Amino acid sequence: MELNFTVNDKPRILAVSADARLVDILRDELDLTGCKEGCGEGECGACTVLIDDKASHACLTVAAQLNGKKITTIEGLGEAGKLSVLQNAFVEETAIQCGYCTPGMILSAYALLLTNPAPTEADIRTALAGNICRCSGYHQIIRAVQRAAKEMGGAR
Amino acid sequence: MTQNTGTCTIALHVYSMHVLHTKGVNVLQYIGTSLPIHDSVGKATGGAKYAGDMTVPGMLHLALLTSEIPHGIVRAVNCEKALAVPEVVDVLHCFNTTQRRFNRYRNIHGQKLSNQERVFDDKIRLVGDRIACVIAETPQAAQLALSLIEVDIDPLPFATDAKTALESGILADIHPEGDVYPVKEMIMGGEVPDLSGTVITQTGCRLERHNHVTMETQACLADYDRCTGQVSVFSPNQSVHGLRTVLADLFEIPYHKLRVVKTTMGGSFGSKQEWMCEPVAVAAALHTGRPVRLSFTREQAMLSTITRCAMDGTVSSHAAKDGKILSIDLDVTVDAGAYLSNSQDYAAVICSKLFRFYTFPHARYNARAVCTNSPVSGAFRGWGTPELFMMLEHHFNTLAKDLHLDPTDIRLKNAALPGDIDVKTGQTLGEIRAGACIELGREKFDWFGKKEAIKTFNVRGGRFRRGIGVGCGGHGNSYFPRREDFVGVEMRMAEDGCVLVNMTVHDHGCGTLVAMRMIIAETLELPIEQISLGEGDTDKTPLDVGCFASRTTYVTGRAAMDCANKLKDELIARASLLLNIPAGQLEAANGVVSPRNGGNGLSFGEIAAKSMHTEQREVFVSHQYISKSNPGVTGAHFAQVEVDTYTGMVEIQQYLAVQDIGRVINREITAAQVQGAVAIGAGCALTEAMMPDKSGKFTASLKDYHLRNCPEVPTVQIEFIEDGSIDGPYGAKSIGELAIVPVVPAIVGAVNDALGANLNHLPLTPDRIVAHLANGGIAWN
Ligand code: FES
Ligand code: FES
Repeated sequence: MELNFTVNDKPRILAVSADARLVDILRDELDLTGCKEGCGEGECGACTVLIDDKASHACLTVAAQLNGKKITTIEGLGEAGKLSVLQNAFVEETAIQCGYCTPGMILSAYALLLTNPAPTEADIRTALAGNICRCSGYHQIIRAVQRAAKEMGGAR
Repeated sequence: MTQNTGTCTIALHVYSMHVLHTKGVNVLQYIGTSLPIHDSVGKATGGAKYAGDMTVPGMLHLALLTSEIPHGIVRAVNCEKALAVPEVVDVLHCFNTTQRRFNRYRNIHGQKLSNQERVFDDKIRLVGDRIACVIAETPQAAQLALSLIEVDIDPLPFATDAKTALESGILADIHPEGDVYPVKEMIMGGEVPDLSGTVITQTGCRLERHNHVTMETQACLADYDRCTGQVSVFSPNQSVHGLRTVLADLFEIPYHKLRVVKTTMGGSFGSKQEWMCEPVAVAAALHTGRPVRLSFTREQAMLSTITRCAMDGTVSSHAAKDGKILSIDLDVTVDAGAYLSNSQDYAAVICSKLFRFYTFPHARYNARAVCTNSPVSGAFRGWGTPELFMMLEHHFNTLAKDLHLDPTDIRLKNAALPGDIDVKTGQTLGEIRAGACIELGREKFDWFGKKEAIKTFNVRGGRFRRGIGVGCGGHGNSYFPRREDFVGVEMRMAEDGCVLVNMTVHDHGCGTLVAMRMIIAETLELPIEQISLGEGDTDKTPLDVGCFASRTTYVTGRAAMDCANKLKDELIARASLLLNIPAGQLEAANGVVSPRNGGNGLSFGEIAAKSMHTEQREVFVSHQYISKSNPGVTGAHFAQVEVDTYTGMVEIQQYLAVQDIGRVINREITAAQVQGAVAIGAGCALTEAMMPDKSGKFTASLKDYHLRNCPEVPTVQIEFIEDGSIDGPYGAKSIGELAIVPVVPAIVGAVNDALGANLNHLPLTPDRIVAHLANGGIAWN
């Protein structure tokens, strides 16, 4: 099929099979390898991207569902050479260890802050429930999201 | 944050400040602060490349076919249909690859181990065993071809647990060496003391199999240049030189023709110190003369790599009425899985941690590893120590109950004291702070206050019951004295004042590189931005055993610190020539070598530049450090849980970790490691288990393997006891493996406390808890 969609604000037209998974399209066709595959079945959150600003599993989404959609990956978050507020908070709060969960984690947090700019700790924990981090105990991650919320203006 | 510095409640041991000879704690600029991991910007932006993200021109894609049956003989592999798929290059299997065998766990040249594995074998020993590998131009073609391979297997009877294997004897021929691998009996502590009038207690534990579940699965990019004979391997691994010996010996490649490079690692916890992916990739690269890439699926990462073994253990003791154990006897059966790999060593090494928190006058240890048709057992954070302490701590809880003692009191009675000798090794435990961990912990946790509050809560009856538990544990900091442990470091001073460091480290994602740079920057008194350091690469970095055995900070960090001091000396020597002032009258501080009594000096960069121009010499030092100590390094964790007696669900309400660490290098990352250990340990205690189904297939999906997620992981308070050790860099001891040791016993102890139970089959899943309650109810009083 011909897939007509927007990736990180750029319109794209690709020839892919209708059942091609978004995770493969991003990684193999567009070289956006920040989108990670950790399980392939919606259980780990490593492949999280934004589809029309909603955190979604790229491993469970196929090309047939994507026409006209707006995709944001981790590569699309900051401006070139500059970290976004949220990315910077993850770095500075040492919320990154092996980093394999990080792109998905940041995008889930980003989606949360879009709809809830002043989340409570419980809100953050719930929003990140589908993103597994095996290295940390989530403390620094939660703090990074709280810090970003504050810096972006939604202090609570 | 809740962690504090230097909250030790006992008098400082005579050794404790020894290492801080050059400067007081407070003037340290980097040690003890918090810095992000070296590649965190790349990881936050998607720029960091892991092995599975790497591509090179002409790269082929591999897809692995694994067995769906647990035991059998491969009669034929029919690849006709697979090979007919366009863009498929070839299929490798047992009839067209090397017959040579290897051991996935070998990490040192010449290590004596049985080589039981082939890249592809004509005998299948587990669901998940490697059968074949498709090589194709595209991942899609590789996947399609995979489904078209026809394999003819004659099934054999199978057993997925050690008990069945031992009782039935059906696996006697699983390997030429058989299925049972005993460990030589160990008697420790000399004469059996007078045991008259002692209390005899026996307890047992059954611990199910766990998976590491690193978010990044195993992956490898391998290339073979037919013109030069050079093989290059890029993978997330914990030992580039260990992997080199395995691959080079297996494929008969001279060591200098095999380059292994460590890539960004998406977590390990031990799972990337044994090698199942790389041999397949190298076989394919050699076969095609092209670069190839293989990434394991999650199912393969669960079934076809390594797991933490399932274990059965019994502990018997003779104890005095005051709770002091006089003699202890352990018997352990390790379910090795389908290949022996490290399991005989693993079973043996468990007793080497017996005296790392407690001390017992007399001990006896028996163990065996048994091969079964299960996922292969291997390294897992702690290497047997978490299992050992689970068994010991369960024993202590039982004994404390029988003797009407408080669980913390009975542990204090048996805890090793600073300067005690490790009965097993005869080496000093040095600055061990076992007792201090318990004392500080029960104060900060308000152990006795909670005990009373819980009594009041539980006495009301009802659906929810609360309990508290304590878990203790000790570990090591290196291989010493089991093996000599050494590290080589080289440092070059660049003309602009930057330091290029060359050493073999493997960052698992826990900040090894930044920790080394902090130590070096601290020692040289240079801004950390001026220190650069790469990771293991057999073509460039010095010989090293690998980043495991909790040796990295303690041994490698100390080597880095010593080498930095040597570089300082060298800078003074060079400056002495350049300035024509005796070295004894010069000092190096803040990046400048200057006369002690004032006057103009030279910056480190100027010394490097002038040495080059006037003496035709680079400012360069190298250093070999041999570690000859291994002090006690301990922790005590405290948990409060609430058990829902209707559902068997457990909520961890409060959690405190006290770590005897000597000195924290990178504070926040260290805290994150402890908190991460609690998250994994909570899973091991309550939900994570790999179990077989009727067909012999073990849990292979995260749908069925239940990790604790963000809402379920407790807030972990941390207290670091930081009073320095003798030999670690700036007094640091190990943390990464140790941190998980006390977790499971603390949580299990708390659940048993809540239910007045003695549950010993782990994990304590809701099903097990509900079944227990259905069988006899709550015995709480
Ligand atoms: S890879 Fe998509 S949720 Fe795990
Ligand atoms: S940082 Fe390793 S999985 Fe989150």
